[in-house]
Amino acid sequence: MAAKVDHAQFRLIIPSQTRYLNLVTGLAKRASVVAGLDDATAAKVSIAVDEAVTNVILHAYRGEGHHSVELELRFTPQALEVHIWHSGQGIREDQLVLPDPSEYIKHPRKGGLGLLLMSRFMDEVRFRADEDSGRNECCLIKKIS
Amino acid sequence: MADLSIAVRQAGEVAVVLPAGFINAHTVRDFETVLEGLVQGGQYRILINCRDLSYISSAGLGAIMGLIETVREHGGDILLSNLQDNVFAIFDTLGFTQLYKVFPDESQALASPEAGG
Repeated sequence: MAAKVDHAQFRLIIPSQTRYLNLVTGLAKRASVVAGLDDATAAKVSIAVDEAVTNVILHAYRGEGHHSVELELRFTPQALEVHIWHSGQGIREDQLVLPDPSEYIKHPRKGGLGLLLMSRFMDEVRFRADEDSGRNECCLIKKIS
Repeated sequence: MADLSIAVRQAGEVAVVLPAGFINAHTVRDFETVLEGLVQGGQYRILINCRDLSYISSAGLGAIMGLIETVREHGGDILLSNLQDNVFAIFDTLGFTQLYKVFPDESQALASPEAGG
């Protein structure tokens, strides 16, 4: 007998290639609307998911395209959760340093803004390593008000 | 339809760049190539008309950030116009509307002092 789940969820596995970003962000945007978020918020969720998956492809997997990235969307009454799993280099939360926008503007340079966009556009951003599976997870949560 | 197409036209001393579609980590190299080509050719007054830009990630912001000091050192600037709400939200959330001049439409941008108007 199939296990009963207390919320709707589904998974998507993509190759670690940036050509699939548009597919993932489109899905995230539409999932946000299904979850009950307005269009402007849905656009922000899709950007946060773009940044998270881009980080996995370019940094965790160093741009190598033969790996996989697994996304799980969970719809709960309180929130839309996007869980992103990979087997590349993980991020430790205690080592995270978000750039200061005012410093960034004084000294413009490339890079470093993805994490900042994720943290500004989502209610929660968590990183963790699953020691049992050896995989790393980035979890993005947007609450439904 | 391709994820991104980019048209460039000249309006007086200003190069008007019109990206259409999505700028993300997959398409950003095309965007960078166009901007870098303009700057390397001595074009330091650039207007990015975002009328048909549906989406820009931090990769696209980085491409603009990477050139802003160079164009200003040469007396030019990078201006933005016609931003859709979600694109404006990205710039505004990060405080970049303090760094770039943002105009409601192209004609107002071209008439501004920064464009030599």
